[in-house]
Amino acid sequence: MNILVFTKRVAATQEEELRIRDEGAAVDLSKVPFKINDWDNYSVEEAVRIVEKEGGTVTAISIGDAESDEVLRRAIAMGAKDGFLIESDAVMHDPGARSRLILNFIKKENVPFDVIFTGVQSEDDQFGCVGGILGAILGLPYSSMVIGIDAIEKDHMIIRRELEGGLQERVKLAVPCVLSIQSGINEPRYVSIMGIRKASKVERKVFKAADYPAENAPGIEIVRWTYPAKKGGATMLAGELDVMCGQLLGILKEKGVYQ
Amino acid sequence: MSYALIVAEVRRGVFEERNLDSVGLAALLGKETVLFVPEGPYQIPEKIADTIVRAKTAEETFLNPLNLTKMLEQIFAGRGKPDYLIFTQSSSGMECAPYSAGFFGLPVITDVSAYDKDKGIFYKSYYSDKVFGEFKPAGGAAVVLTVRSGSFKECAAERSVAAKIEELSGIAETEGRVFIEYVEEEKSDIDITKADFLLSVGRGIGNKDEIPAYEDLANKLKAVLSGSRPVIDKMWLPKPRQVGTSGKTVKPKVYLAMGISGAFQHIAGMKDSDCIIAVNKDTEAPIFQYAHFGIIADIHKVRDKLKEIVNG
Ligand SMILES: Cc1cc2nc3c(=O)[nH]c(=O)nc-3n(C[C@H](O)[C@H](O)[C@H](O)COP(=O)(O)OP(=O)(O)OC[C@H]3O[C@@H](n4cnc5c(N)ncnc54)[C@H](O)[C@@H]3O)c2cc1C
Repeated sequence: MNILVFTKRVAATQEEELRIRDEGAAVDLSKVPFKINDWDNYSVEEAVRIVEKEGGTVTAISIGDAESDEVLRRAIAMGAKDGFLIESDAVMHDPGARSRLILNFIKKENVPFDVIFTGVQSEDDQFGCVGGILGAILGLPYSSMVIGIDAIEKDHMIIRRELEGGLQERVKLAVPCVLSIQSGINEPRYVSIMGIRKASKVERKVFKAADYPAENAPGIEIVRWTYPAKKGGATMLAGELDVMCGQLLGILKEKGVYQ
Repeated sequence: MSYALIVAEVRRGVFEERNLDSVGLAALLGKETVLFVPEGPYQIPEKIADTIVRAKTAEETFLNPLNLTKMLEQIFAGRGKPDYLIFTQSSSGMECAPYSAGFFGLPVITDVSAYDKDKGIFYKSYYSDKVFGEFKPAGGAAVVLTVRSGSFKECAAERSVAAKIEELSGIAETEGRVFIEYVEEEKSDIDITKADFLLSVGRGIGNKDEIPAYEDLANKLKAVLSGSRPVIDKMWLPKPRQVGTSGKTVKPKVYLAMGISGAFQHIAGMKDSDCIIAVNKDTEAPIFQYAHFGIIADIHKVRDKLKEIVNG
């Protein structure tokens, strides 16, 4: 089974203070560290596990600037055979534009595949759309929130997808198909610095996004960036650590959950 | 004809409450509202839409992007394409919305949490709510949207008359994607929904080796330990301990969140707690917007200090 897996390098903003620049025109990411999108880590792992069992190859593909080579090396260290970078210096905020770029790339380069994996969403923009749009424009079956692959046959797969509140549904999908993988589907392997260094010796191919122009489909535009509206917020406890912790215990007592 | 089409979610015979957020956004958009639903014996508030179209198919075949796009094609053939095609930002919405966008060649904006009527702008979260993007469909074209639950419910006004009911039949079911069965979550001895006091830990705890120390704190405080999704994904805690949309919805007297940033899927599962206390080292963490009390500090230090005080 040949699997294409899309992987993205994203800003790790969870612990960072983000500043908006130029009156809303841009978000300043110059001091923010970057990493592999968490969801893609799970989908690369899932793809590698499948080919380890069933045979075939995993090809990791990333759209982004030259730095995105980092996530390709990482995927190769995990077990992908090839890494393709579709280089684009401009950030593409519109997921539709990204999906159409992928479609044109796959067609023009004649990239063979049985299954395409994406993560459910990327941590930065949280659009969660590239896989679904791609499935539709390729005319293939699609499923998102995939939390288990129970069986793989020549012409179909049995998967489990996550619904709400711990409920799942089991679904049969014809192959070829596109799947968006949910976090927690597996336990991604550890990737060592040594492994990544070794992976650097495997050649990665670089393509230019401009060579795969999409026809003019209606898109979305970003008008500007803003900070979230403040909702009133919490009463902040202040002072030394023991003072704050004392106050916290006081609140627990007052609420009657701790004596 | 100018209208908003809402694809409603019915799960296990229940018309999901989050559909009201879609109804609310449609009202804000000021369009005639058509609500598209599957067959079933469930109740729908009759006055929430102008028209209700009932598909002659069950919920499991309805919320299937391959079947759904074919049904939408039938609807569009009769009414024309809608100005807005609205889903909820949920498992099925996140699957069906982009697929429909690709299928019909429409742009899509997901996780919409606010709308500016004057500017025609949709607000969408970026970087887990640290920044919001103001988006609009280029050239004012029709657009597919998914709606963050809890965002527009209050805008869902009742109409004076009950909705007109229409039926959609002759539905072709695809072979490409077929529902087999629902799968229930494993049973667990601990029911976090019954606890009065939850100590909930997030990715901020850093690694699995920290769990025992938080378990110990929970025991000393007589709290039950729960966690955010990454903690469960990494198997640091079992799945039945997960709080959030894809885990449990909890309403304890006190919810003490340590090292949790406050993504909406997490907030949706705990926002109705009587008292929310958040500990985080990031002053900008979105969870402080929902908490009653906050502490900006290293969670491990707070943990150790609490234990020290409690031990006396
Ligand atoms: C379909 C879907 C369903 C989902 N369902 C759920 C769900 O049910 N429940 C859920 O929780 N999530 C769910 N998520 C995931 C959600 O979007 C977030 O990714 C997740 O909630 C983030 O968890 P977190 O806050 O623990 O981690 P992060 O967002 O990484 O936050 C970690 C926090 O810890 C803080 N921190 C780090 N170190 C320290 C320290 N030493 N001291 C103090 N603070 C520290 C950081 O500042 C940060 O705020 C779902 C996502 C999708 C797409």
